[in-house]
Amino acid sequence: MTEASEQIWDVIVIGTGMGGGLAGRRLAENGLSVLFLERGPNGARGEGQGLNPMLADPVARQVRGYWPKPMVARINGRDSQFFAPIGAGVGGSSVFYAATLERPEPHDLDHSKDRPHSTGGWPVSYATFAPYFQEAEWLLHVSGAPDPLSKQPPSKLAEPAPLPLGEQQLMAGFQAAGLHPYHGHSAVRDLQGCKQCLGVKCPRDCKMDGRSAGVEPALETGRARLIADCKVTEIKGEADQVSWVEAEIDGQIQQFRARAYVLAAGALSSPRLLLASTAGTWTQGCGNGEDLVGRNLMFHLNEMFALWPKRDLVFEGPGKSLTLRDLYHVKGQRFGIIQAMGITARYGEILHFLTLAFDRSVWRHLAWLKPLLRLPARLAVGMFGDAKIFVGILEDLPYPENRVLMDADDPDILRVEYRFAPELLARRKRFRWAIRKAFKPWRHWFLNRGPELNFGHPCGTLAFGTDPKTSVLNPDCRLHDVHNLYVADASFMPSSMGVNPSLTIAANALRVADHLTQLLAKPGSQKD
Amino acid sequence: MQETDVIGNGVAVVTGAGSGLGRALSLGLCAEGLRVVGFGRDAKALAETAGLAKGGPFTAMVVDVADFAAVRAAFETIKSKTGPVTLLVNNAAVYPRRDILAETAESFQETVDINLGGIVATSLAALDQMTETGIGRIINVATFADIAPIPTSAAYAVSKGAARVFSRALVADLGDRFPDIVISDWMPGMLATKMGIPDGLSPEVSAKWGVRLALWHDPSLNGAVFEQAQEIQPPQGLKRRILNKVLRRGSAVARRLD
Repeated sequence: MTEASEQIWDVIVIGTGMGGGLAGRRLAENGLSVLFLERGPNGARGEGQGLNPMLADPVARQVRGYWPKPMVARINGRDSQFFAPIGAGVGGSSVFYAATLERPEPHDLDHSKDRPHSTGGWPVSYATFAPYFQEAEWLLHVSGAPDPLSKQPPSKLAEPAPLPLGEQQLMAGFQAAGLHPYHGHSAVRDLQGCKQCLGVKCPRDCKMDGRSAGVEPALETGRARLIADCKVTEIKGEADQVSWVEAEIDGQIQQFRARAYVLAAGALSSPRLLLASTAGTWTQGCGNGEDLVGRNLMFHLNEMFALWPKRDLVFEGPGKSLTLRDLYHVKGQRFGIIQAMGITARYGEILHFLTLAFDRSVWRHLAWLKPLLRLPARLAVGMFGDAKIFVGILEDLPYPENRVLMDADDPDILRVEYRFAPELLARRKRFRWAIRKAFKPWRHWFLNRGPELNFGHPCGTLAFGTDPKTSVLNPDCRLHDVHNLYVADASFMPSSMGVNPSLTIAANALRVADHLTQLLAKPGSQKD
Repeated sequence: MQETDVIGNGVAVVTGAGSGLGRALSLGLCAEGLRVVGFGRDAKALAETAGLAKGGPFTAMVVDVADFAAVRAAFETIKSKTGPVTLLVNNAAVYPRRDILAETAESFQETVDINLGGIVATSLAALDQMTETGIGRIINVATFADIAPIPTSAAYAVSKGAARVFSRALVADLGDRFPDIVISDWMPGMLATKMGIPDGLSPEVSAKWGVRLALWHDPSLNGAVFEQAQEIQPPQGLKRRILNKVLRRGSAVARRLD
């Protein structure tokens, strides 16, 4: 086997999450030679850990496939520091995800008179994306039932496992109240003995993610190679061409070369790598002539609420399947999807949420009051029983001042600046009001008072578009001015949509990979 | 329970299987139908254990646990010939009664190589196979000898004490990542064996508890310590005790093996 650094690969893929994994798989299956460079570890295949925001040691975090350093977020001008739910290992963040793979709606991408799009619409239409959504659903073994409110032809999904009785009854209750629940779309194959690894690494191959549905099948083709613990530090090139990438392995800098490069380090790190790449004429960073790299950062807002089913329902364990789109788009307003979180809140959990709320309240300095929280928590459980936790996802929109930054002193720190737009806060209020109204027949209770950013859903930091003055990537997700550098992670999204981003990332990665395959097949199309 | 089946249907390695407790544990696991591979330095003693085994097959392998390369090679052989190891019982140990003034640094280190080095070598070789599936069981036969060393036991007390720290370090590194690789310490008690005391417990009696613990594959046993048939719970601090009182959480009941 030759050294990976001595060979000229067809494509080098930087990052192995949902985007990099799926792009690399498609490229390798299309017959191209692919080199994956992954900054985190490969990890033993039998690992089953979830993310742990309390573990602070960077070495221990890295070993577990967590992003090693904290996120430093300046939110509304105030700095806070915490560990974001971001992975750094083979499979990226996707190995820790809850495998929710929901399609966006056409109006998430397309502009129309009835449903105007805040950015004027994506440069590639929903209709163009549709076959890639379908392929991503197949590759990731997505199961679920069609959304009864959708006007789109239903996607051909695998049959989901039947809902447990309690969920069925809750679903019937929702329907009786005029709501339209459906069995949500999930990428967990119900193999024998499946432990439903939602939020944790799957030790087998039930859960489909960037590793099990991307990197592993890519390696099986024999045309792909993976180097883990390999941190790409800079993209080197000149003018309109990348010449090589530099990466740190065991403290040594190595160079890797390819005909084309796919950047898929995630919406927080792909822009930071471009900002760190200042060779030759790229004085402001690669692709950053218009000072757009890292801007327009979006997260979703999570509106979490506990809902108490009617007393006589029997639940066998937490179900994560109930999903509704009744409030997705209401009277011209973009809200988002509502999903069961797979959490049953008992006394301990309710107490925990109350404590969090207390810590943010004006009473927070009166610590001696805290034990009193046990009273309402105990009352709630005594009177109403166990609650199901649901989350409403609220779409965030792009604002240039919201961005991710390169910290030159410590590139591993995820530095973020974010302001809540007045428009977003107003929309949030209306979303909560709509949730309250929709779930009125059930006792329910919001678990967060202030706006809660979902730091696991970053996107938009290298948006694609037709105009190089307002976008970083062209409609093929190539940098406008660099002809052999593509992006295949959540960075490309010009708006954050009302659903979890994973399926859209996977679909776009397949689209980018197909485009690149065609291009590299034409002789002489790339300057080697 | 499904996981127990995995342990029960897999391959067990018992070190020090030629005599005493190691022999009794091997025979006990064979009687439960497991395929047992016994490590030892004495081929004749291992052959005797094999002759006594009923139930699952017993395979003898002459391996000195202090020979780390030999340990690695043995695990490779087991994997290719019998299948991946799912249960490891670290039982091999030496107990030289020697005045500290009679030890040399070399003789002391020899004991450490067996009592600590052996556990490290076998555990790492077994984990190499267990971490592929995320399922496994490791029992370290342990002692309280480190808490108040008696005269002429320095090398034993130090190495066995360090082995207990090694168990805790394993749990710190692996507990959250591999919840189904379950690691426990077990003090068998004072036994009537070559290493024990004449009026001690019969190793067959003690081995029954050891076999029960070895086949008990519950993630909550990760880091648990058992003395003979009873679990020893870590001492609780004042804060924890008050919290339990306030939340009306009773303190956990110690689990038993009989």
